[in-house]
Amino acid sequence: MQAEAQPPHLTDTNTQISRIALYVLLTLLAIAILFPFYWMVATSLKTNPEAFYYPPDFYPPEPTLEHYHEIMTRGDINVPRWGWNSLVIAVATTAVTLFVTSLAAYGFARLEFPFKNLIFIVVIFTLMIPSQIYMIPNYLLVRDLGWLDSYHAVIWPAAPNVFGLFLLRQFFSTFPRELEEAATVDGASRLRIYWQLMIPVNRNALIALGIFVFLHSWNDLFWPLIVLSRVENRTLPVGLAVLAGAYGAGDSFSEPALIMAASSMSSIPVLIVYVIFQRRITQSFMLTGMGGR
Amino acid sequence: MIGRLKQSLLPEKKSASGSWRTWKWYVSNYAFILPFMILFAIFIFRPIIASLQMSFFRWEIFGPKPFIGFENYEELLTDDLWWVALRNTVYFAFLTSALLTTIPIFIAIALNVPFRGRNIFRTLFFFPYVLSASVVGLVMRWLLGQQFGIVNYLLGAVGVGPIPFIADSDLVIPSLSVITLWWAFGFPMLIYLAGLSNIPQDIYEAARIDGARGWQMIRYITVPLLRPIILFVAVTQLISHFQVFAQPYVITNGGPGQDSVTVIFYMFRAAWTYFRMGFATTMAVFLAIIIMAFTLLQFRFGASRLEY
Repeated sequence: MQAEAQPPHLTDTNTQISRIALYVLLTLLAIAILFPFYWMVATSLKTNPEAFYYPPDFYPPEPTLEHYHEIMTRGDINVPRWGWNSLVIAVATTAVTLFVTSLAAYGFARLEFPFKNLIFIVVIFTLMIPSQIYMIPNYLLVRDLGWLDSYHAVIWPAAPNVFGLFLLRQFFSTFPRELEEAATVDGASRLRIYWQLMIPVNRNALIALGIFVFLHSWNDLFWPLIVLSRVENRTLPVGLAVLAGAYGAGDSFSEPALIMAASSMSSIPVLIVYVIFQRRITQSFMLTGMGGR
Repeated sequence: MIGRLKQSLLPEKKSASGSWRTWKWYVSNYAFILPFMILFAIFIFRPIIASLQMSFFRWEIFGPKPFIGFENYEELLTDDLWWVALRNTVYFAFLTSALLTTIPIFIAIALNVPFRGRNIFRTLFFFPYVLSASVVGLVMRWLLGQQFGIVNYLLGAVGVGPIPFIADSDLVIPSLSVITLWWAFGFPMLIYLAGLSNIPQDIYEAARIDGARGWQMIRYITVPLLRPIILFVAVTQLISHFQVFAQPYVITNGGPGQDSVTVIFYMFRAAWTYFRMGFATTMAVFLAIIIMAFTLLQFRFGASRLEY
């Protein structure tokens, strides 16, 4: 297994030089990726006049938390409240989606009923159609149901996740039939096979789909922007996007330090969660990104 | 026992007393897909039909909603802003997809080399992708401003600029593309890494014995073997960037002028600023047709799985 010890692209005589070049390039790239975060946090710790200094200070001369304090006390930039809304909606959407989608995936993978394949093809066909086409009729429906400005308006339309159905059905289909038959012989019902065999055995796929759904819901802008209009009902992406309009001035902002404090406050929890679960999260995107291939 | 097994898993269609029981069994099987199918019918199937229908009506939020045949479609085809939006969208989608299909290949190749600290780089490079478009938009807008942006200050220090990245007609779409590259390259990078890990090391070993060196290996082994994945990434990126909305909404508000108005941005305005729902659904239908064409491409390419 020499291939393991000798990386394929660096087997030349000038291995050392290549290796150093690689480190330098990757480090430059890492700086380019990190700098916007640094600048966001650095600006948030300045006062608004300081943020406009020219030449700019690369670190806040007298770091201040005044904008964070302002956010906590002001009604129109209610980042904690928006964060709570985002969390409730993302958790509920993930739970409902996983339950409804996995139940149906089990049905399509393992149970027999008339028109099964036809129904499945119709459902899968809608994967080709971009979601924007649902938006206007769904908005009118949600309005008629009196759901505007409520969590329901965001959670339920996201629950039938066709891609998730496709993904989980693939996993459930590969479960060995003999094991399922053995469970049936032991008297297990379909519901028990679903709950005590399919779900635990495929928990990695379910977790991957769950992370994918959660992040989608957490970051979604278009649909919540349409159905959540009151300030206190907004999610984080909606709240921040509205700020961009309200505090925008040309290609900049009228109160950049305040805006950057709001951005920092909404992305630092994401950063922490990401660092803790990064392996799971990247695995989730590898799996879902390849369509479960 | 066997009978029970047969009944549960392979219901016989012609079993003597069993037709009623089989039927009941089928009906109870439907229960598993029922919650999903109800939600699917309400929130996915119904609105697709309703959108097609609404595009033939003058459907505004107040007042009568008369059937007008193809008038919305005719209006769309003669609407200058629609063509501007379509041009901007096509430009953005192709440029962004080109960047996001090619550049991550090289980053993935670099990160596939086993070296100390490689997981730290992988973790770092993927991070922007988990942020919301709103955060990315706000931060980038603050960084790229012509007068106060730090990027222009740094460019000024080396004698370049100032460059009005997001305030200039010609630069705004490329700028949004590069912002999107910064935000989203971690995702194709991961897909390429998954693909690279499937390429057997002995191929490189054999090539090395035949005298192949670094770039030659990438050019003649890695890229050809990644081809199906590269095509997959290209098509999925195109599909997703045709639906661009958040970047122009947060960063430029469609400006300068109309230079970053995209199809979905225009649809959003038509529907929720002017409440012209019928006209807006016509745009959605148009976009859906374009995207379905690309999806068919994906199915074509998706059929060829990775084999060595």
